Amino acid sequence: MTSPHEGPQEAPIVPPPPGTIADTFREVLPDVEFTATQGTGDVILIIGRADVPRVLQLAKDDPRLDLKYLRCLLGIDHMEAGIEVVYQLYSFTHKHGVTIKTRLPADDLHVASAAPVWKGADWLERETAEMFGIVFDGHPNPVPLLLPEDMTDHHPLRKDNPFAQVEEWQGSRLGPEAAKLGHIPAGYESIAGESGEESSE
Amino acid sequence: MTGREREAERLRPVEVQRPRALYREVLPGVIQAPADFLLAMARKSSIWPMTFGLACCAIEMMSAYMSHHDLDRFGIVPWASPRQADVMIVAGTVTKKMGPSVKLLYEQMPNPKWVLAMGSCATNGGPYTRYDRVVQGVDKLIPVDVYVPGCPPRPEALIEGLVCLQEKIMRDRGSIG
Amino acid sequence: MTATDQERDLETLDIHVNVGPQHPATHGVFRMVLTVSGEKVVGVVPHIGYMHRGAEKLSETMDYRQGIIYQDRTEYLAQFNAEHCYCLAIEKLGGIEVPERAEYIRVILAELNRITSHYMFVGAFATDIGVYGTAFTYAFREREYIQEIFEAVSGDRMMYGYFRPGGVVWDVTQDFKDRVRWVCKQTRVGIDDLDRLLTTNEIFLTRCRDIGAISLEDAVDYGLSGPMLRACGLPHDLRRVEPYSIYDRFDFDIPTGTNGDVYDRYLVRMEEMRQSVRIVEQAIEQMPDGPIMPEKAPRRLRLPPGEVYMRTENPRGEYGIYLVSKGGEKPYRLKIRSSCLSNLTALRQMVVGQYVADAVVILGSVDIVLGEVDR
Repeated sequence: MTSPHEGPQEAPIVPPPPGTIADTFREVLPDVEFTATQGTGDVILIIGRADVPRVLQLAKDDPRLDLKYLRCLLGIDHMEAGIEVVYQLYSFTHKHGVTIKTRLPADDLHVASAAPVWKGADWLERETAEMFGIVFDGHPNPVPLLLPEDMTDHHPLRKDNPFAQVEEWQGSRLGPEAAKLGHIPAGYESIAGESGEESSE
Repeated sequence: MTGREREAERLRPVEVQRPRALYREVLPGVIQAPADFLLAMARKSSIWPMTFGLACCAIEMMSAYMSHHDLDRFGIVPWASPRQADVMIVAGTVTKKMGPSVKLLYEQMPNPKWVLAMGSCATNGGPYTRYDRVVQGVDKLIPVDVYVPGCPPRPEALIEGLVCLQEKIMRDRGSIG
Repeated sequence: MTATDQERDLETLDIHVNVGPQHPATHGVFRMVLTVSGEKVVGVVPHIGYMHRGAEKLSETMDYRQGIIYQDRTEYLAQFNAEHCYCLAIEKLGGIEVPERAEYIRVILAELNRITSHYMFVGAFATDIGVYGTAFTYAFREREYIQEIFEAVSGDRMMYGYFRPGGVVWDVTQDFKDRVRWVCKQTRVGIDDLDRLLTTNEIFLTRCRDIGAISLEDAVDYGLSGPMLRACGLPHDLRRVEPYSIYDRFDFDIPTGTNGDVYDRYLVRMEEMRQSVRIVEQAIEQMPDGPIMPEKAPRRLRLPPGEVYMRTENPRGEYGIYLVSKGGEKPYRLKIRSSCLSNLTALRQMVVGQYVADAVVILGSVDIVLGEVDR
């Protein structure tokens, strides 16, 4: 387990001031439920999992939003509360950006893929999928990206994935002869310990 | 087999071979000693490392090859092909995905060969040692002759490591091959 | 018989060429499997992850001041830029004010680091093309002059760990201003040297013009940034569009290309080096005296709960840090938005249809740093 954080707290939801991109989203998608909050710098919109494909497609296509640039796609592990998938979008024409978040329940990690919408989402989703165990439905090539391709059962970035234990003696796996200290170069006598008797297993 | 079990297979250490050269069987000892001396002098004066820069230490290794801290004056010329290299300078972190490639490259080098572990990642995993995708030191896979500490080691430290390797070649001349 | 008739009569096989994790084009451990039909590449499958060392997970165990070591080692050619982004993310979330002198020091060091990174690019790129060592040696000689300043200021040749949330850890040396002025003059000479060697060389032009072109629409869709996006014609530079730190006080141009091919990317980076020298010269004249850390720097840095996505213009593109804090001294989640990973997603589109020899040149023009791709 990673070290517990002192009293984990969530940031309070601060509704954004009028005139930001949250209002444009409400115009474009009047029937979608979302919570808007003013994060540090960008507006954050929290939507439901089922709305993800429609929201992302309209965010890219609608000329009032024109969010054609997918900057970042990541996952955040909230342990029992589920895993959040975050999309960071930007528009070059209107020079505005937004963060869209959606939370997946811990026992059902499925969400629609953004790869049909932005070509760059392909690799970003492959990485998020292997790191957290999320399944992106409709992804063209759901193969692990950074881990070996046959390692589909290992999810390093989850909070319950432990760290490695530091192994004690170098060279011990190669057998006792390989681990014995050889000649000590001139001038280094003071730091040479015992010559490796404790290395044999 | 799960991915993890297959990985344990892939990361088994190499079998270390100690082949004996023909001249040790054929020539009498009184001729072997000067032959050893000449061969060791030749080998240490023209070490050709295989360019195996993995991560940040590769940049310092390249700096050591370049004109500011020249390595060519020692006879050390970087050579990309493992089939014609003497030394493998493992410069950088070895991850479990890279492990089989490291072993294959080591086996492709002809004898006599040496390995220099450059930097703390190649020595024992370095700052990344607690992550479970990192091999904690390249000597878990291949036998290492010289360890150069540092993160990254200065080019001067790498030069000292290579000079130590030269001394080792000279000193171990009776037992190589 | 025309050439195409001859081709149709011949029976050929597509072979797979493995440009393996160890290869002389010194870009680190990157592997691509090219499917070639004759000399033309018909398919490419890049394999990354050979340098996946877990900087994101390990950053969760380090508090905000210790975590800077992973930023250095992730982007190991533009360390100050990565540290800058990390410190800015923490300062934005924590509302920490940075003193003026520290801002100027940071900008000067970050721009000098941009110059060293682009020198490395020119050296490695020229080596990929076949200038076997000449440009590389020039580039490293020029880098050493700047690295001496970095060593005098921070104590290390490469992994500086000099920036802190709130400022920098100690003040610069007495002769800093003179050394930086000298290095600016020397860098202009060095850039001209490389320019004269490469830019109008006929072989260089033949190998780089109209190779690996990508349209602006595709570039935006793939998420490219930095010189790759600017070479397609869009003058998008985060120092101008979303100014962070004190970049809005300096006067510099944003070079753009027209075709989005390999030659334009090279020209954009060469011109960016000159613009960085301009920024450094202006900054060194304006640099005030004063403190380098805020007055009431807390002993234990705790950030309020919240999230921030801070992005900066690194030499390779948009480097971003998405920092999630749930109170406490350590980040809850630190995601590094890697410019090289996004730039590399477009590799397939650029390489398919070109010759095998051009595949290496195109890979070189993307200017990847595997530490950042794999983190």
